[in-house]
Amino acid sequence: MKRKMNTPFIIVLFIIGFMLAMQYNTVKNPKQRDTRDLWDIRRELSLEKQRHSELLANIRSLNTTISKYDNLNNDSPDRVLRETVQELKQEAGLTVIKSPGLVLSVDAAMEAKALGQEVPNISPDLMVKLVNDINRFKGNAVVIDGKRIVQTTAIRDINGQTTVNSLAVRTPPFSLIISTSTLADAKKLASYLEASSIADEFYIDNLTLSIGEPQKKLALDAYDRSFENKFLSETKKGE
Amino acid sequence: MWLPLLGLLFGISLGLLTDIEIPIVYESYLSIAVLAALDTIFGGIRAQLQQVYDDHVFVTGFFFNIALAAGLAFLGVHLGVDLYLAAVFAFGVRLFQNIAIIRRILLSKWNDKKAKKSEETVQ
Repeated sequence: MKRKMNTPFIIVLFIIGFMLAMQYNTVKNPKQRDTRDLWDIRRELSLEKQRHSELLANIRSLNTTISKYDNLNNDSPDRVLRETVQELKQEAGLTVIKSPGLVLSVDAAMEAKALGQEVPNISPDLMVKLVNDINRFKGNAVVIDGKRIVQTTAIRDINGQTTVNSLAVRTPPFSLIISTSTLADAKKLASYLEASSIADEFYIDNLTLSIGEPQKKLALDAYDRSFENKFLSETKKGE
Repeated sequence: MWLPLLGLLFGISLGLLTDIEIPIVYESYLSIAVLAALDTIFGGIRAQLQQVYDDHVFVTGFFFNIALAAGLAFLGVHLGVDLYLAAVFAFGVRLFQNIAIIRRILLSKWNDKKAKKSEETVQ
């Protein structure tokens, strides 16, 4: 009798144990409540959509390169490779750019001049903020006082001098040249910079930032040094 | 005696290790199912002690009670009445009754044993 009773009991108790554990798991880890409202979600959605379109644009450009390789494989693989190298150089900032753009000039404020104060150097922080603002609004490439900004550019203070690419920036006046994809973008960038508070930040430092008229064609100097590659090395042929 | 407890432990550890979670909407169904199962278990133990235990009654009772409780809860959700409370009440009352009966039976058995022992020592 006893043995007969055992089996159903074991099974039922096993099921009870399993259910208890499941209940414990569920009660122990309550799901994080989603507290985002409609606008938060819309904002996130728009960010994701932006990323989506950026990725699509990247894929398209890479596909174009692949098809170029495919098409010209027989005629002149050399030319295509050279084109790619040229494109990469352009992306890295090693070529002169001729495109629509905008010229900004930094000068000492009138008040400082009138009072005979010493013309201050632009601070690295202010310069970084300006460059960030430009990058945020579709500025493709920037040249500060003849020094091209590239991926590895550092804007910093060296011995009291603000430097770009380890070269000192002149005491104002000096100019910044910004390249944009189209003239319309240059106009937009100009209005954006005019509307932003960046000019006020300059004024606090006794400087003025004047935003020039958008121009159809501007030339931007290339980055004039070579890139140092510390961590990558060339793979020998056949390896 | 120990095998059923082992089954319980095995079930608990399996549930904890697999980390299964159920959606919060179905949480009330599970809790009521657990209650029904507990009621069945104690009913089974009582029946065993009263020597009226039957396998078929026990197993069918287990599944039927769970299904009935979950069904009541489901119906309650759809009718907008907390019908699962009826199941909680019924199972709760029965659980206490069963445990009380088990306690009394065990107590009387213990008393009998004690009486026998004392008789033996007297003799």
